[in-house]
Amino acid sequence: MLKTVFKREILHNLYSLRFLLSLALVLGVFAAGSFSFIGGRAVALEKYRQTMAAFTEGMKKDAAANATTLAVTLRTLVLRPRDNAFMDDAKEKYLPNAVTFSAWNVFGFENRSGSANPFLKKFDELNWSFIAALIASFVALLFTFDAVSGEKESRTLALALSNPVPRGTLLFAKYLSAVLSVMALLLAGVLLSLLIILVLDGTSLSPALAVEAAGFMAAATLLVSAMAAFGLLASVVAPNSNVSLLLALSFWLAFAVIIPNSSLAAAKTLFPIESSESVQKRIDAAFADLNKSAPPGSWMQNSSNPFLPQHKLRADLHMKRLRAEKAIRDDYDQAMFRQFERTRLLTALSPVSQFEYMAEAAAGGGYVRFRKAWSDLHAYQGRFLDFFLTLDAADKDSPHWLNPRENVSTTRKPTAFEKAPRFEEARMSFAERAAPALKFLIIGVFYSCAVFLLTFVLFVRYDVR
Amino acid sequence: MVLEIARKDFLTNLLSARFVIGFLLCLVLIPFSVLISVSQYRDRADQYRLDREAADRAATEVRVYSKVRPEIVLPPEPLSIFSKGISDQVGSRVKIRLGDKPMLAAGKTAAGDNPFLASFFSVDFADIAAIIFSLLALIFSYDALTREREDGTLRLQMSNSLGRSTYLAGKILGVLLTLLPVLVFSFLLCVVFILLSRDVSFTAAEWGRIALLFGASLLYLAVFVFIGLFVSSRSKTSVTSLVLCLFLWVLFVFLVPNAAANFAESFVRTDSRDNLDRVLSSLDEEFEEKTGQAQKAAGLPEGRGGWWMSWSDDGGLEIYGNSGADFDIDRRRSEISEPLRLQYADKRWALEQAYLASLARQARAAERLSFVSPAGVFRTIASALCATDLGAHENTLDRTRRYRETFVRWLEGKSIFSSFRWFTPTPPESFRTGDQLIELRTGGEFKTEREYWDWHARQKDKWAAWQKMGKVKVKGDESGDFPYLDLADMPRFPAVPLRLFSGLRESVLEAGLLLVEIVFLFGLGYAAFLRFDVR
Repeated sequence: MLKTVFKREILHNLYSLRFLLSLALVLGVFAAGSFSFIGGRAVALEKYRQTMAAFTEGMKKDAAANATTLAVTLRTLVLRPRDNAFMDDAKEKYLPNAVTFSAWNVFGFENRSGSANPFLKKFDELNWSFIAALIASFVALLFTFDAVSGEKESRTLALALSNPVPRGTLLFAKYLSAVLSVMALLLAGVLLSLLIILVLDGTSLSPALAVEAAGFMAAATLLVSAMAAFGLLASVVAPNSNVSLLLALSFWLAFAVIIPNSSLAAAKTLFPIESSESVQKRIDAAFADLNKSAPPGSWMQNSSNPFLPQHKLRADLHMKRLRAEKAIRDDYDQAMFRQFERTRLLTALSPVSQFEYMAEAAAGGGYVRFRKAWSDLHAYQGRFLDFFLTLDAADKDSPHWLNPRENVSTTRKPTAFEKAPRFEEARMSFAERAAPALKFLIIGVFYSCAVFLLTFVLFVRYDVR
Repeated sequence: MVLEIARKDFLTNLLSARFVIGFLLCLVLIPFSVLISVSQYRDRADQYRLDREAADRAATEVRVYSKVRPEIVLPPEPLSIFSKGISDQVGSRVKIRLGDKPMLAAGKTAAGDNPFLASFFSVDFADIAAIIFSLLALIFSYDALTREREDGTLRLQMSNSLGRSTYLAGKILGVLLTLLPVLVFSFLLCVVFILLSRDVSFTAAEWGRIALLFGASLLYLAVFVFIGLFVSSRSKTSVTSLVLCLFLWVLFVFLVPNAAANFAESFVRTDSRDNLDRVLSSLDEEFEEKTGQAQKAAGLPEGRGGWWMSWSDDGGLEIYGNSGADFDIDRRRSEISEPLRLQYADKRWALEQAYLASLARQARAAERLSFVSPAGVFRTIASALCATDLGAHENTLDRTRRYRETFVRWLEGKSIFSSFRWFTPTPPESFRTGDQLIELRTGGEFKTEREYWDWHARQKDKWAAWQKMGKVKVKGDESGDFPYLDLADMPRFPAVPLRLFSGLRESVLEAGLLLVEIVFLFGLGYAAFLRFDVR
């Protein structure tokens, strides 16, 4: 029975004007997004290549000067433009994408100047994720908003139910057909986009890309299921299709526009954090205390004599200052992460937001990518420091007074740049992607099931006349 | 007759469920957008006060002219509550420097203290208005003709001596009359929220601009009414018309503006910021090198020493306790370095200007591409009316650059680069020789500089040897011995109040574009309705 009703429903969807229009729209936007991605990618990669060439050149120069210069110089590492950004750019151009570090510490992160044009109002890239979040969610509602109320108006619902068709079967068939119709649209768009990118951009279809695409489609299925369930709910609670349309559009506006765009206000109002000025004041105060308690002569400088006793005092002072600043900044970084993550969890009220966070994890980009790079860079900094300490320990001419800021009282011998550890951003493993997506997956599944169940209960009591 | 048809449609619409739901949507979404915008404005106003206090404090607590660097803190635009444009992306602090002309404003953006929040977008009244007004216009017009045909009432009416033009005019008027209260209500709701908010106050010109925004909203609404009527006149059934209208809505309101920005970003290239920074950095090195060469050619020694010195970027230098001869060397060094610094600011600006032009070109390309959609035109008009668009920002930054010129002229008028006052408040008449200073500081233990330094070279404990110099406190050796500079005659950055029509030339053209769209769509709809099969 389900098969028969499903076949009828899916054929009804596929032959409808809305399907044709959706197909044209989806294919058009996927193609436009793919061309736009290819157009901007070469420039982005060239800019990145120049930046990294300057970064490497700087490291080489410092290594040739001496190992301490290599260790104490602050460097800014910029994350590479992601190859699969056509799937989901995850708003990386607005997120922190550069980390400042030395061998002694990972100091902080920033959104590098020039990542986004400040004169261009913030916008979403036309990538797979945007198309699914905006168009697929809209089309899912469009396929379902009159599934019940429309049939009631055209009096086919009473006719259908006069046959021995259980209401649950009818509703589920409508639901399933809507979800599959929308997913067929998305799949067509995804395949077209892949075709354009593989042919014109020279990207190869790797197993990793295929898995990422599959992850994206799974997240999109969950989104479409949730939106279709909301569409059916609108159809069941409204007296006619006009009202159900407005209700469905209200759901869409709430989920795709209002909730995601309330994040900034929610973050600042509900999860406020200390201001950066106040943090700086605390650091200044800690520095002032350390300076005050430092032995006299700690600031005395004479770079021509590495064994000047005051260098040891200053090395100790700088080390204490580094530890004090690190403790305060690390706490503040955690507060920023918490504020961002809590806001995301709050906006997961919207299936569109849930999908965006899951798609980001599937593509291995955005915030989850940054956190992985941030954590890997801390591990790298540890290796970099070990490398430097080994060099310093081997140098008999060094006083070994470890100073994280100055090039005075540790080894002043040049080192081979090639021997220094280099940071390479590692691909995210499946577990690293799945872990942050899991909570959104659970919320999404719960949402779809709960709304469908509610719709079912209402449909069972529905007056079909 | 037109009025009767309009009245009938108005009353029918008024009693319909869609009017109630549409009205409720406005009732929820408009306050939502205004509350969020007012809260963001309040945050920016608080930050403005903090930044202003810090800038005022920093500007007054200086003792030498080389450290006078006024910082302009731009107040948030109250009209940004209606349309924030790019105002929350560009910062609000501009430091006036000698070695650089203001390029971009610094300071916190909408993300505030957490840079991750920059990935969250937010909507304002103009965004919500663009979404809701277009949706309501289409919802009330998509079936204006098809529904009557489906009900059979169109055939009935056309069987009377009623002209199609009259009927169409009545229909249009009916829909517009239905939507007008929603529009008026939305604006009134905004006004009430603003009047109730203690943090926001508008000038007469700003209220005038809100009135102009109302006019632009009316035009925008009308465009979508005519789109709905045209689609209705070309569709066989209401369902077809509805589906088409909704797709056009998504296309015009959500897709075109994003696609326009995407294409502009991908195909209208901007210069690399990293590249610019690298070139600027090499210019800085060139400046340092040239300054060193010029100072060497003038017979000045390399390196700078002093009893009490404090450096800051952009040539800020504060010296106390030097001998008269050393002070004179410092004066001659500054006399060479500072005019050269000003010359290099012009060289830097040529590169920075090209970079800014590439950013502006891309942003304007996105804006023009978005004109394919009436929503793009409306948002552009709204941000121009609210003085939060790129043009307003460029004007402000231009004013800061002009102010820098005034500031530099003020410094030059004092011949300050060749004056001791550039780097020390110590009056020349109280300068001492090096020997006098050594004698004073060591309490007479050493009579000459040479005597002290010879003794110092023989000492193992350099710190203890240095301590001898602090035996007696000499007046003029520390910054605290001098008062702050009196900067009453320093030119101030002039505040320019918003005028009702200033900077709106392009907005008039854009409003004209909306009018042309209305006329064009009306023509299309009229032609289609003349051929409309009423059976």
